[in-house]
Formats: sequence, structure tokens, C-alpha cells
Amino acid sequence: MPKVDRKALKKYISVFTISFQQEFAYRVNFIMWRVRNVMQFFLIFFLWDTIFATPGVNVFGYTKAKILTYVFSLILIRSLVLSTRSVDIAPEIARGDVSNLLLKPINYFKYWLTRDIASKVLNLSFAIFEAGILFILLKPPFYFQGNILYILFFIVSITAAIILYFLLVLLFSMPTFWFPQQSWGFMFLLLVFVDILAGGVFPLDILPVGIQKIALLTPFPYLLFIPTEIYLGQLNYSSILGFLAVSMIWIFVLVYINQKVWNSGLRAYRAEGR
Amino acid sequence: MKRSTLLGGNNNDGKAIIVENLTKNFEVSEKQKGLGGSFKSLFSPKTKTVRALKEISFTIKKGELVGFIGPNGAGKTTTLKILSGLLYPTAGFTQVLGFNPWDRKHEYLKQIALVMGQKNQLWWDLPASDTLELNRFIYEIPERLYKESLEELIKLLEVEKLLNIPVRRLSLGQRMRLEFVAALVHRPKILFLDEPTIGLDVIGQQKVRDFIFEYNRKNNATILLTSHNMEDLLDLAKRVIVIDKGEIIYDGDLRDLTEKHAKEKVIKVYLSKPTDYKKFEEIGEVKRFNYPMVILSVPRETSAIAASEILQNFPVADLTIEEESIESIIRRVFRGEKIVKNNAESR
Repeated sequence: MPKVDRKALKKYISVFTISFQQEFAYRVNFIMWRVRNVMQFFLIFFLWDTIFATPGVNVFGYTKAKILTYVFSLILIRSLVLSTRSVDIAPEIARGDVSNLLLKPINYFKYWLTRDIASKVLNLSFAIFEAGILFILLKPPFYFQGNILYILFFIVSITAAIILYFLLVLLFSMPTFWFPQQSWGFMFLLLVFVDILAGGVFPLDILPVGIQKIALLTPFPYLLFIPTEIYLGQLNYSSILGFLAVSMIWIFVLVYINQKVWNSGLRAYRAEGR
Repeated sequence: MKRSTLLGGNNNDGKAIIVENLTKNFEVSEKQKGLGGSFKSLFSPKTKTVRALKEISFTIKKGELVGFIGPNGAGKTTTLKILSGLLYPTAGFTQVLGFNPWDRKHEYLKQIALVMGQKNQLWWDLPASDTLELNRFIYEIPERLYKESLEELIKLLEVEKLLNIPVRRLSLGQRMRLEFVAALVHRPKILFLDEPTIGLDVIGQQKVRDFIFEYNRKNNATILLTSHNMEDLLDLAKRVIVIDKGEIIYDGDLRDLTEKHAKEKVIKVYLSKPTDYKKFEEIGEVKRFNYPMVILSVPRETSAIAASEILQNFPVADLTIEEESIESIIRRVFRGEKIVKNNAESR
């Protein structure tokens, strides 16, 4: 593209704006969602705090300070990667509301990615606030990454994670084209994978090496675990580059699959719900 | 896909919509009755093919307003959805303004609108003005043009006071009018309207109808409208396409259709004294008896004789002879079709 299409840009800016307004219309939902996140954090925090109750204990190669640092860093990373609006895609397809967007001169994927970004901006600003309060309350060890190169790698990995998660949600939404009544089932499947393999509850390197290796072949660890490890400076340059390459490959693969599935999904689409 | 040899290149002689041998099949999964049936269909789902459209063909000229009528499930909405690019046709040729709708090219989408009486595009929790603003950018409408058409639409549909109220708080009629504003700010050249007056009260219906008429006239827009509401059609459409079970059974002037099929007239009698209504049955078919009113249906040719007979033999306070309503004519057309074809139950 030789120059930025200003009209197109305005399109997505206005999608961003209305999306933001929509989130505010559901203030209570949003606040409850944040409360849930804080509760989840407490749960994970105190779980590990208990495991490491005896001083000097070393579990799975982790010390107490190290694991709490991991868990605490996750607050912001989670809200950046896992908070999305695109979970609404599946119900939208099931209800036939996807028609509204198909009728308009706008790119469906960019539309939802924009809405996701709006949701992330909102969630992140709340998460920063929450993290501040939790930091004062719990005084956990916190790791400030000072190495510019690591910070750059971290930004790249987070961007990749955001796109990866969007593509995964999209992919797991699309079976709804064929099974409109079963839309939630597939999303649950995705969330199960994310819970186990993304590293949101425990760092993946506490798993047996064989399982770790298999997990690292899936896109899930690149959502939370790898970005967090990069931030915490746990990885050397060559493994960072290797992991970034794997997540890029996954992005390309998923873009390709999504396009194929989307096109055949639209052919099967019944535009029901009237 | 077969393309007609008659349609060479872009020369469509002012035709806005061309449909040829359009076929649409749906694969529908069948579920047997009850819980056991649910289990069965979970493991061995059975599908059957529903033929929603069977090789239909028609063309619509630019600026024409055509009514699309037929019973539920006849294929009207399916046709509109194919023409607006939402559904993938199984076979046949469709072209609207020179575009294949299925491509959903942005240049095409900017020229059309689909309004469905039972669907909404307005953001439920926000005031309609937010959706309008969004549409302005999505359709890339220049600011001056946007203001102009918005002003006009707001005036025509009388929605000025409703723009800043969250959509969820509006009544159906108010919402429907705002749906129209949202669907038409980009001034589409082609309008697909699916049951635009459904669920509206009489005044709401009239407002929407007046608006459709005005929009068609002012913008020379091509409009294809489905409706169960005969008033809509009488008011708006000169030409109708009657569709039943996926086939077009009539395409032509609405007046011709009714004249051809209007074999009866309706005589409405107000009695001055109670009388045995059974005696009316000798003159014609009694449609309703609700003292003092009697409604009779009699053959066209003998309606004058029937009227004079009534006047002579009954205590009549008032008597009128009316044309059979279009609704009942069309109902008869459908019923006739259904009797010819394997005697299916008519709804």
C-alpha cells in the first residue's frame, strides 16, 4: 500500500469509538468481569503462596519470589491478550446478526479486531489500576525489565499473542455456520486449551519436558507463557527468536485456515433468525 | 451457471435486477421427536434438502417498485437475501446493477440496503445517532451529503426527537423508522424491504408506506418489497410477483391479477330488523353475520340482481357493494394452487 487510506482509517476509528461506548453501556458487566479477574488473581496468588509456605522451598525449579513475579506479571498480560469482544462472533453468527455487517462495505475481520482492541484498551487501563492496588496490598516481588532489547521482544510477542488469540477465537467461532445451536461448545473447547496450555494458571515449565515440547508446538503457550517469560528475562536471544518464529508461523497458518473456513462457512450460512 | 444469450455485456436496457433460473437448496437437519430423537440425531444426523427456490426468473427495471408476495416459506426472503449477497445461490444467474451480489463488492454494497422488519442493525444500548455516525464512516459518505440525506430522512420519518434515546427504550414503531434512517443514509439505489411494516400499528404502517413511496419517487430507487400486508401492496406496488413453494406463479400488474381473479363481489347489508339470516344463503355465501350486519359474497355478474333481491326481501337499513379484498383474492389464488398440487394443507 503506497499511502494510508484515510477513509478506511476513519471507518475503523469510528468502530473503535462506538465499541468503547458500547462497553460503557454495560458498566456493571464490565466491572463484574474485572472483579472476576481480581478474584482469579487472588486465587492463583494464594495458591502459590501456600505451596511455597515453607521458606527456602524450591518447587518445579521455581522459588517463591520467582513464581509470584510470574503470577503478578500475568495480570497485565492477561488483560491485554485474553480480553476480547470477538467472543460475540459465534452468537452473532447463530442469531443471523452477522448479516448486518456482511451487508456493509467493511471488512469483517478488521471490524472485529478493532473491537477487540477497544476492549483491550479499556481492560488494560483498569488492569493497571488494579495491579497498583494489589501491589500495595500484597507487596509481591515485581520484576522491572530494564533491557531495551527484551522490552522490544516482549512488545513483538504481545502483539503476536493478541493476533493469535483473535485468530483462534475466530476459528473456534466458525463451526457455528454449520451448527448454529452448538456455538458455545466450541468456544468452551478453546477456553479449556487456553486454561491448560497458555500458562495463565501456572508456568508451563513445571510440566514434564515431553509435554512441554508438545505444548510449544501448539499456538497456546504463545498467548501468555512465552510473552511473560520474555518479559521476565528467562529466555536467551536464540530461543526468543525461535519462539517468535513459531508464533509467526502460527499466525500465517491460522490466517490461511480462517480464510478458507470463512469462505465455505458463508456458503453454508443460512442468514437465519427471522 | 447459465447466462442468457439475450443479455449481451453491460447493455441491460435500464434493468436493475436480473434473475435467471435461480435455485436455492437448503440442507436441513431433521430431528426426530422427543429426547430419544435428540440422541439419535446427535449420532446419526439426518439431513434433507429443502428446495427453497426452483429456477425462478424475473427482471426489474430501474426505478420500479415491485411487491413480492406469497405465503410463509414461499421463498420471498430467500430471494431478497440472495440478491443482497447474504446467501449463496445453489444455481442460476443473478445480477444487480451489473454486479454479482455474492461478490459483495464494496461498490455494490454502497448502493443497496436490506431492511428487515424483524431484524435490527441499530446498536441496542446506544442512541440511534451513534449507529448513524458509524454508518456515515462505514459507507464513506461525504459530510455534506450525509447531513443532507440525514436531514431529509429525519423529516420524512419524523424521528428528530428519537435520535438521542437509547434504542432499547424505543417502541417498535419508533425503532423501525430509525432503522430506515440507518439503512438509507447512504442513499441506496436499490432497496430490499422484507416485511417493513410488520408489527407496526396502523399509523406507523402508514408512515412507513408514505416514506417508501416518497423515497422511490425522489431518488428513482428500485424497490423490491415483500409483505403480508395487502395495504402495503395496494398503496405502493403496481407490479407484483407472486411466489409459492419456490416458484413464481404470477408476475405482472397487481390490478390485472385482482381483476382476473376477482370473481366475486362483497355485499354488506345493515338490517333494520332482526331476521333469519339463513334466508341469505339462497342469494350468496354468507361470510359473516353479526346483527345488524350481514356480509355476503356473490358472483360478480349477478351482484346487481342479488342486491335488488335483498332490497326487496329483507328489512334493509343500508346496503353497499364492494370489490372483494385483494387479500382474499390472493388467498384464493394460493389455495387454488395448493389444491391443484397434491392437496397440501393450507395455512
